[in-house]
Amino acid sequence: MTRWLQFLRHYGPVPRNDNMYDETIQRSARRQGIAPIEFEHPAQAEIVNCFGHATADPVSVILTGTAGDGKTHLCRQIWKALKGQEEEWASDSPYLTLQSRYPKDRKMWPGSDDPTFYRSVKIHFIRDLSGWAPQQGAEWEAGKEEMLQRCCRSLFTSDTDEIFLIAANDGQLIESWRRLKETEYVRQARLVFEELLVEDKKQQPGVRLKFFNLSRASSAELFDRAISAFLRHPGWQEQAEGSPGENEVFGPKCPIRRNYELLQTELVRSRLRALLELCDYNGLHVPIRQILLLLTNAVLGHPDAKDHLMVPADVPKIIAAGTVSKASLYNNIFGGNLSELRRQTITIFDYLERFQIGYETSNRIDNILIFGEGDEHLGPYFEELLVKDQFYGADSRFYASKNAYIEGTNESEDHASEFMQMLVSQRRGLYFKIPKNKEEELGLWELTVFKFSGEYLDNVLSVVKNHGIIKRPIVSRLVKGLNRVFTGMLINSDRDLCLATGGNNSQAKVSRLLLEQVSLEPSKGEKIIIHFDGSSGRVVLSVFFSSDISVDFNLTLIRYEFLSRVALEGALPASFSKECYEDLLAFKSQLIAAYMKRQTRERAAEGSTIGLKLLALTEQGMPDPKFVEIVP
Amino acid sequence: MTPVLQPLPPPETFDQSSSMWVDEAIWGHRLYDEQIPWMVFLEFLNVFYHEVGKSRAFEEPNGLNMLKYKAAHRLYLRNILFNNPHLAEIRLNYPNDSSRWDEWLKRMKSSTGITHPQFNYLKDHFHSFDDFYEVVSLIRSTSLEVNSNKRWTSKFAFPYGKDCLYEDLDNTATTNDRRFFGRTGEVLYLMLCRAQRKQELLVALTRKLGKTDSTWDSIIKCLQPTDDEPMSGDRANAFVPYDQHSSFDELAEDWLAVLRLNIPGFDVFPHLVNLAGLHLIKYQLGVSRQVLGLTPPLSLVCEVVAPKKTLVREISCDLYQENNLLPAQAVEAYITNIEVGEDWQRALTDNGAFEKCRKILRDKVRWGEDYDGSPDPQQLIASLRQAAMRRHHQHVANIHRNYGREIGLVSKRGTMKLRYAPTDALLKTLLFANVESRIELHQFLEKLHRRYGLVFGDKDAERVLPKDEFDKKAFQANSRRLEQRLASVGLLRRLSDGCAYVINPYRVEAG
Repeated sequence: MTRWLQFLRHYGPVPRNDNMYDETIQRSARRQGIAPIEFEHPAQAEIVNCFGHATADPVSVILTGTAGDGKTHLCRQIWKALKGQEEEWASDSPYLTLQSRYPKDRKMWPGSDDPTFYRSVKIHFIRDLSGWAPQQGAEWEAGKEEMLQRCCRSLFTSDTDEIFLIAANDGQLIESWRRLKETEYVRQARLVFEELLVEDKKQQPGVRLKFFNLSRASSAELFDRAISAFLRHPGWQEQAEGSPGENEVFGPKCPIRRNYELLQTELVRSRLRALLELCDYNGLHVPIRQILLLLTNAVLGHPDAKDHLMVPADVPKIIAAGTVSKASLYNNIFGGNLSELRRQTITIFDYLERFQIGYETSNRIDNILIFGEGDEHLGPYFEELLVKDQFYGADSRFYASKNAYIEGTNESEDHASEFMQMLVSQRRGLYFKIPKNKEEELGLWELTVFKFSGEYLDNVLSVVKNHGIIKRPIVSRLVKGLNRVFTGMLINSDRDLCLATGGNNSQAKVSRLLLEQVSLEPSKGEKIIIHFDGSSGRVVLSVFFSSDISVDFNLTLIRYEFLSRVALEGALPASFSKECYEDLLAFKSQLIAAYMKRQTRERAAEGSTIGLKLLALTEQGMPDPKFVEIVP
Repeated sequence: MTPVLQPLPPPETFDQSSSMWVDEAIWGHRLYDEQIPWMVFLEFLNVFYHEVGKSRAFEEPNGLNMLKYKAAHRLYLRNILFNNPHLAEIRLNYPNDSSRWDEWLKRMKSSTGITHPQFNYLKDHFHSFDDFYEVVSLIRSTSLEVNSNKRWTSKFAFPYGKDCLYEDLDNTATTNDRRFFGRTGEVLYLMLCRAQRKQELLVALTRKLGKTDSTWDSIIKCLQPTDDEPMSGDRANAFVPYDQHSSFDELAEDWLAVLRLNIPGFDVFPHLVNLAGLHLIKYQLGVSRQVLGLTPPLSLVCEVVAPKKTLVREISCDLYQENNLLPAQAVEAYITNIEVGEDWQRALTDNGAFEKCRKILRDKVRWGEDYDGSPDPQQLIASLRQAAMRRHHQHVANIHRNYGREIGLVSKRGTMKLRYAPTDALLKTLLFANVESRIELHQFLEKLHRRYGLVFGDKDAERVLPKDEFDKKAFQANSRRLEQRLASVGLLRRLSDGCAYVINPYRVEAG
């Protein structure tokens, strides 16, 4: 009965050897007769189609990405699609082969079964390059080396009857290839891999290779599939059967059950998904393994349990000890149940920590938490958000600590810090509890360090994904932020983009020389638009100098936040200023180069005088250009 | 590295300002600590443009160390820019254009360094006093040392072009008292004259300087009268004691690498300045090691600044101190070499030993005339040693620290002691000089180690440090921090699992 929860632990943050992850899970699953959590990877169809009837002339495929991205799993899907033997796959060998047949003419699948229309192709499966390649510092064995040499050759010639499927981490791929004997094919192959990896491409013209970097998959999309597979696993059903008692695991007071139910609610799911989506737009990819770890930890986490994950036997004890609130899903999601050391080494918690949820707050939020009880205005919120939550809201521990804090009776440091910890936990809870219709009123996103996240998701991302137009005030605000960074002055202009330099340094902090003001509204070929780039999955801000001269800027969440804050608050936010600032100055450099390009194209004869446009600000902070002419 | 140094003998005539020839014999005349790398670059440009004008750039047609050049003074320009606090006040208090000009011209009659100051020509170039004021403000805002409390004659306009260049002058604006243009720019020039790739460098440098926007040079020309102002007298006596040295070639290579990139406009200058400073430091330390007969190459263990004290910081502090003492040790060794040398030993046994020894010193280090101690060779050389060390510590000993701080190699950030902690700006310079378009991070670190002795990560640290001092984890954390730093300034592309590429955003120009 309780095997499900025992099995589920394998997915959580337990100490283990990561290289054996997939095997351990598979072995444990077979032994206990439980199906592992599985779902179809969004890229699966495209990848499997590289080998099936969708293609008449298959080429080699490389699957790369970080640990836990699903490479091995996808290899297995291909193996199955090609009718490979299950027992063969179940062996430990990192290298397998299959024969398959493909059209001889390499153009179309023949209608008949006549073997003369087909050619036999050998497919080499290197499903784990790190397990197959020699150890650090050692040389390649002759047989393996020869095979990889053939592989390199096959990328550039079509006269072979073998193709390769290789699953490897990026670093492993480059590293292994460097240890091969340097023939011309090897050298070319290495260059191709490097180019595809760094430039984020799937193929290069003329090269017989399809390159899938699974680290580019959308974390949000993976989350959707992962959480569905997680929640509808029959293991939960079995757990609920047999009507557990009041204080038993999965009974009415059980925190594991409570967490499981919370994960099923629309609000919790959507808030969690939002976080993962924001990670995507900050250039942070979350592998599948990390998502499953997050979910498992969220449900089973408790700071006092062994490995900080609850087992069924723990539940009655926890209920008896009154520490159910410590198993708060809201806190577990951020790894709050783990030790700091452990938490810092786990990718997903590192990423989520960057949002600083629990530590960021506003007066409004803290007033509700600390003084809301019984207050005339805030009382209803306190009721709704804390009292109603009998598991993780205000419990006796919370009240006791809160009152002690308010009264200031106990001067000890520990007491204050205990309450601070509880506040962190409660703020995290609020992030998942504030209803959609109260998001703006209560300032949901002020609970994170990216206060403009909500706007980014709702008014920018979803708008551009649907080819809509972004509201004017938002674009104006971004332009104002850009202007302030570009000129180094607290300028209020938001209708044109001011390209200014310092004269001797394109990246000077204060730039008073105005080169050009690019119109926001379309005018004489100039315009500034925000759109979605489907191929890279990015939100892009484009500045057009003419119909064919433009510069793109990847508008990540962090840059959006930075520009918005600069526009509204006027100061460079210290927390992420350096990185964004450099990015923006580099963008300015590119803009200036594009502007020069247009000028050289359009400019007729040079005048005999030298004209300068100097930027000063009016009292309202509007640009006040001053023209100075010098006669040489 | 040339294993054995073959220094050139001291010149027949040399600058009378040198009271002896010890530091100069080892490193040249001269390396000067108060001449920060930007000033070195400016002095270099003065020499360079002069020699280009005479069609002999990077050549030494009259023999080694015979450099002779003239520099401009441009006192009209300098008085306007830096000896002229009147503009804002006049603009405020005087009602119309002509009264403003009148008042200002009146005040400028007391300009320094010009015999009969006549600033009327300015009215031909500017439509109004107001315009003039704006332009002067702008030029001041990009000038060098403008906010320091240095004397006005030691403030410099940004080198937009050859009409902006001039040499440092004393307070009366009459002579170059070598206070801030202490000849290190001339030394830099001579070094490049002896680099193997100097022809390529000449082409690249002239091309880059020719491609920059000439607007500002033209504007600065407008601030100067049309008839030529008098140039300086002959500047001569720069001396570099080696006709070749690996430092010269490495400097030329780095400058070449940076000049070939697509870096816009004048943005390339700060990198040239940093590289000049870095190679001068390496030259000084490298030569010191050769004089001392130390074979292992120079090591600069660098800390990527961490919030807490780390082992890497401690090691870096220690190594900094060690390196800082090298030049002084080299001076000692140089003098000791004289003492144990054949000539001296022989002279000791001869008649009139003292006079013979004194002559040896006069020949080798141009010192001894003013010695008035007891006529004993031991005392004589002890006295030389004392004088030499004292003199060394005044200036030459400080190059490592001063230049290091100026280029962002040496710093006290986050702690109380000096150590090697490269700033982002210096990291950028190093990247631009060593990465053509992209290479893996560990290859980049290996290159930095091989070419400059810089140590960031565990692989290089292990090779360089004694076993009991080496801590793998600390250095791994250090290179991880370096990765983050480079990523945060957009120069690193991190793929998964520790595979990272260092990327130069300004790929090599085509053609």
